[in-house]
Amino acid sequence: MMACKGRILQLQHYSVNDGEGIRTIVFFAGCPLHCRWCANPEGYTPENQILFIASRCVQCGRCTAVCPQHIGWDLNDAAARHACIGCGACVDVCLEKARTHTVAEYTVKEIVEKLASQQLFFRNSGGGVTYSGGECTSQSQFLSELVDAVYDMGLDQAIETSGFFDLSLLRPVLDKIDLLFIDIKLMDREKHKQYTGVDNSLILRNIAEIGTHRTGVVIRVPTIIGINGDDENIRKTARFVKTHLQDPKMELLPYHSYGADKYMQLGMTYDESSFGTPSEEDMARLNAIIESEGVTVVSYR
Amino acid sequence: MLTERIQKAKDEYVNNKPAISYDRARIWTESYKRTEGQSEMIRRAQAFKDVCEELTVTIFPGELIVGAVGEFRKCGILTPEFSWTWVDKEMDHFSDRVQDPYEMTDEQRQYVRQHIFPYWQGKSLEEAFLAQIPDETATVAVDTGIVDIDSKWRQSVGEITPDYEDCLLKKGFGGIIAECKDKMAQLTLSRPGALKQQDFYRAVILCSEGMITLARRYAQKATEMAAAETDSSRKNELLQIADICSRIPECPPETFQEALQMIWFYQLGGILMENPLSLNPGRFDQYMYPYYQHDKAAGLHDDNGILELIECYWLKLSEWVWTISANTADFFAGYNQFQNLTVGGSGRDGKDATNELSYLALKATAEVKTHQPGLSVRISQKSPRDFVDAVMELVAQGTGFPAIHSDKTGYQMLKNLGYETEDARDWNNCGCVVPHFRKTFEWTSTVNVNFSGAFEYATNGGKSRITGKQMGLPVYQDRQFASYDAVEEAFFTQFDNLIDISVTGTLVAQRLQKEMIPRPYFSALFEDCLEKGKDLVDGGAKYNVGPVLTGIGLAEAANSLAAVKKLVFDDQVCTMAQLLKAMDENWEGYEELQKQAQQAPKYGNDLDYVDDIAQRIANHFYEKTHSYTDIYGSPFTSAFMGISNFIPTGRVIGATACGRKAGEPISEGVSPVAGTDISTPISAMKSCAKLNQDIHSGGTLLNMRLNHDLVSTKRGRSNIASMVQSFFDMGAFHVQFNTLSTKTLLDAQAHPEQYKDLLVRVAGYSTQFVHLSKTLQDSIIRRSVHDGM
Repeated sequence: MMACKGRILQLQHYSVNDGEGIRTIVFFAGCPLHCRWCANPEGYTPENQILFIASRCVQCGRCTAVCPQHIGWDLNDAAARHACIGCGACVDVCLEKARTHTVAEYTVKEIVEKLASQQLFFRNSGGGVTYSGGECTSQSQFLSELVDAVYDMGLDQAIETSGFFDLSLLRPVLDKIDLLFIDIKLMDREKHKQYTGVDNSLILRNIAEIGTHRTGVVIRVPTIIGINGDDENIRKTARFVKTHLQDPKMELLPYHSYGADKYMQLGMTYDESSFGTPSEEDMARLNAIIESEGVTVVSYR
Repeated sequence: MLTERIQKAKDEYVNNKPAISYDRARIWTESYKRTEGQSEMIRRAQAFKDVCEELTVTIFPGELIVGAVGEFRKCGILTPEFSWTWVDKEMDHFSDRVQDPYEMTDEQRQYVRQHIFPYWQGKSLEEAFLAQIPDETATVAVDTGIVDIDSKWRQSVGEITPDYEDCLLKKGFGGIIAECKDKMAQLTLSRPGALKQQDFYRAVILCSEGMITLARRYAQKATEMAAAETDSSRKNELLQIADICSRIPECPPETFQEALQMIWFYQLGGILMENPLSLNPGRFDQYMYPYYQHDKAAGLHDDNGILELIECYWLKLSEWVWTISANTADFFAGYNQFQNLTVGGSGRDGKDATNELSYLALKATAEVKTHQPGLSVRISQKSPRDFVDAVMELVAQGTGFPAIHSDKTGYQMLKNLGYETEDARDWNNCGCVVPHFRKTFEWTSTVNVNFSGAFEYATNGGKSRITGKQMGLPVYQDRQFASYDAVEEAFFTQFDNLIDISVTGTLVAQRLQKEMIPRPYFSALFEDCLEKGKDLVDGGAKYNVGPVLTGIGLAEAANSLAAVKKLVFDDQVCTMAQLLKAMDENWEGYEELQKQAQQAPKYGNDLDYVDDIAQRIANHFYEKTHSYTDIYGSPFTSAFMGISNFIPTGRVIGATACGRKAGEPISEGVSPVAGTDISTPISAMKSCAKLNQDIHSGGTLLNMRLNHDLVSTKRGRSNIASMVQSFFDMGAFHVQFNTLSTKTLLDAQAHPEQYKDLLVRVAGYSTQFVHLSKTLQDSIIRRSVHDGM
C-alpha cells in the first residue's frame, strides 16, 4: 500500500496554548470553511501557494530568472497570482527570505520522527500533539493514520476543529483524542453562513452528539466585536454548551489582526474594518455571562 | 515588602557610583616596608594584620551586619602588590570610562602616585609575569583578546569557597589559632620542611588574630555610636552589634545574625587580603540552616526578621566592588565580584536538601534586587514542586536570576574529576557556572581561548585578518584547501596551538602566584592545609583541580566551519578563494555571498549538520586541554563559560565565514550566536545538549531570552520549568533566562534614570542594565527572543 501523505502547512514545535503542556501543532492544509477573519488564510486550500513578503524583496531578479511562468518579482500583482503554479522555484533561490511555501507533504513516519524529537519535552510537561489547520478533519484518512501512530507513542493528543465533518467517519479517530477543541463561531445560522461560507447546523449536531458520549471537550469562540462578540451570541452559545456537554467548558479567544499580513503576502484582500478586538472589560463581561450559564471558563494562556 | 532600613540602603546602592579607597593599599605598603627580609608568607599575613588594626572602621546608618572595605559605602580597594601600572595609567580616567567607572579624587591620585606606587615598582605580580613570560607566548597571550589570562596575573586568583560548615562556624578563629599552636608545638624544626610549616602556622595565626582584632574594633565603634545614639531602637541594635562583634569571629556563633556576621567578616577579610573575584558564599541554605532553626525555635525571629538579615548581607556583598582594569572590565562587566551563592539541590546523602532558607534566598533577591550574590539554584526531578515554582517566579521577574543548574550534571562533573561521592553531591557554584566544592584549590576561570581566532588563523595562513600580524602557526599559507576535511584540520592545528599558548601562560602565572602570593588566610579554612601545615598554593587542599580553560566562540566557530562546508564543498555556490576574498574584504562587494553564508545552517536550531561540528570541537577541546598538567600535576580542565567576553573577543576577529562582519561579537558559553537560534527554545536546548556537557568540568553556560508572555502565568512558568527539566534530562548543566521585553530594554537605554535597579542577565551572572556599556546593552537586546507559538 502506498503511504498516504498529508498536506501540512506547518509543524509548530514549542506551542503552549492549544492543550496541556508543551506541544507540537500540526497544521493541516485545506478547510471547508472560509471565515473572513481567519488568521491562517493560507489554509483555505490544500494546494501549495507562495507567500511573498514584498517588504523584504530587493528586486535582485534571481526569482524572475528561474520562474517557468515568467512572472516578475511582484507575485502579488493579480495577473501574477493567476499565472503562478506554486512550483516554488523562486523560493529556493531567494536570499532575502521574501518567499515561502505554504504547504509541504509529509508521510506519517516523517511527522512521527519530528514528534519523537520533542518527546522528552512533551513528557516532562504533560504535553503532546495538537491537530489544527486549516481543518485537520478535511484530510480524514491521513489524520486517522497519524492519530493511530501517535496513539501508539503514548502521547497526549488534542484536536482543534471547526466541527464541520462527517462524524460517522471520524468517530474512531476522536476516540483516541484526549482533548477536543471545537469552535462555535456563531449561533445564528444565517450569519454563520454569511461569515464562514457554511451552515452551522452540522457543527451543532456534531457537538450535541459528541457531548453525549464523552468529556474532554472545550468549545472555543474566536471572539470578534461586531460579529459574534455580543452578549446575546455568547449567552446563546453558553446555553447550547450547557445543554449538550456533560462537562461544559468554553474558552473565548479574543480576535487579533496578526493574520492581516498573510492576506497581503498571498495577494488577497482583507477587510478588517468590521472586526473589533475585544477589550479586557469585554472579555471579563462575556466570561461572566458564560459562568452565569453554568459553563466553566477555561484558559490555555 | 522591603523594610525601611533595607529600602534606604538599597537607594544608596543604586544611586551612588563606587569610590576608590587607598586605605588598605597604604597600610599594606607601610607594612611591607617594615617586613623586608621576611618570608612572603609572613609578610602577607603581617600586612593583613596591620590592615585589620589600622583600617578605618565604619558602620553605616541602619546596618545590622557590619564591616566595610574602606571609608565609602560603595567602595573599591587597591592591591598594588598584584598590579599597579594599569591603575597608574588608567586612574585619571576612572570616573569617565565606559565600563565600570569609579570615583577617585585628585588628592587620592596624588597620594598613591607619591607614596604607594613607587614602592611596588618592579615588585608586583604583573611586572614579574611580563618579565618572565616567553616573548612568543606574550605575542598571543597578553592583551590580545585571543588568549586572555589577564585575571590571573593582574589580580589575585580568588575562586575560593570557604569551608564554613566544617571549619569556621565550628571552630571560630579562636579554635583555628589553638589548632595552629598545637601543631607548631609538635614540629621538630630540624626536620625537612618544618620551618616552612612553622611559617605557615604563624601566618595563619597572624591572619586569625587580625580578624579578631578587626571585629573588636567594630565592637568598640558600635559601643561608641550607641552611646551617642538618641533613637532607642537603633541604640539597642548597636549594642547588640557590639556584643556580637566582641565574640564573633573568635568563637562559634549561636544565632542566625551571629553566623551571618561571621561569614561576612570572613568575606571582608578575604577582600582586604586579595581583592578577589569569586569568593563564594557557597551552599548558604545548608550551613546556615542550623542557625535558622535555632532562631525559630528560640522565638528570636520570624521569617521576615530572617529575611531582613539576609537582605542586609546581600547589600554587603554588593556594596564593595572589584577594582579592575578597563580591559578586564570588558570581560567581566558590571562591577561584578562573582560571589556565587547556591541554594537547593541534594544533600551529602543524596536526598533533596531544599529548605526554608532556599526560598528566603530567592525572596531576598526578588525584593532587594542586588547584583550580588550571584544566586544559583540546583534543580532536579527530586526538587520540591514549590521550589521549582518559586525559581520560575523569580525568572519571571526578568532579573536574570537565578542561574539554574542541573543537580545531577554538577555531580557528574565533579565525579569525572575524581571527587568522592558525598563531596561530589555537595557541590556549589563558583563564580558564574563552575561546579565547585569547598575543600578544593582550583583556578576556575584561568584563560579565555578565542575559538574564532583558530578559524581566522586556519583560513589566513596564521595571520590576523584585522592587523595582518602573524598570530598563529605559519601553515596553509597558500590558503589552498582540497577538501572540507583539510579546512577542519587547519582549524584544529591552529586551535591546538592556542591551547598550548594558554597552558604556557598559565604555568608562568601559576609558578609566580605560588612564589609570590601564599594564601594563609584562605588556607586557614582548609582542614587539610592545617593538618599538613601546607598552604593552598603548595597543594595543601584535599582536592587540587587543574586550571580551567574557557572556550569562547564555540557556536561562532562551528557556524563558520559549517558555512565553508556548505557553500564551498557541498553546494559549491562559491570557491574557497572567493569566500576567503569576501572575508578579507569584510563582505564588502560580496553582499549576496554574505547572505548565503548567513543562511547556512546555524548552531542552536537542532541541525546535525552544524551541531556535529560543534560537538567535534568541544570534544577535541576537552581531550587537548586534558592532555596537559599544571604545576601540581593536575590535568587542565575545559569549560564553556560566559562572562561578557564574547564582545572583546569579537572585536579582534575579522569577518568570519558564517556571514559575521569584522569586530562583531562572537558567542558565549554553549549559547548560540545571538540572533541565530531562530527555531524554538527546544531546538536551541537540543543543540546545546548534544555537547557532552559533563566532561567540561569547568562548567557550561546557556543564556536564553524568553518573551515575558511565556512566564506571565503560572501555567506558562510550569511549562518553562518542564522545558528546563527536559534540558537537564538530556545532560545539560546550566541555563539562565532574560525575560524582559525588548521594549523595556530599549526604554531603559533611553531613560536610564528610571531603571537604576533593572537587573539583567549578562552571561552566567546578572548586573544592573544601566551599568553596562552601550555595546553590551545592544548585544543583550539582540539575543533571539523565544516566543511561545
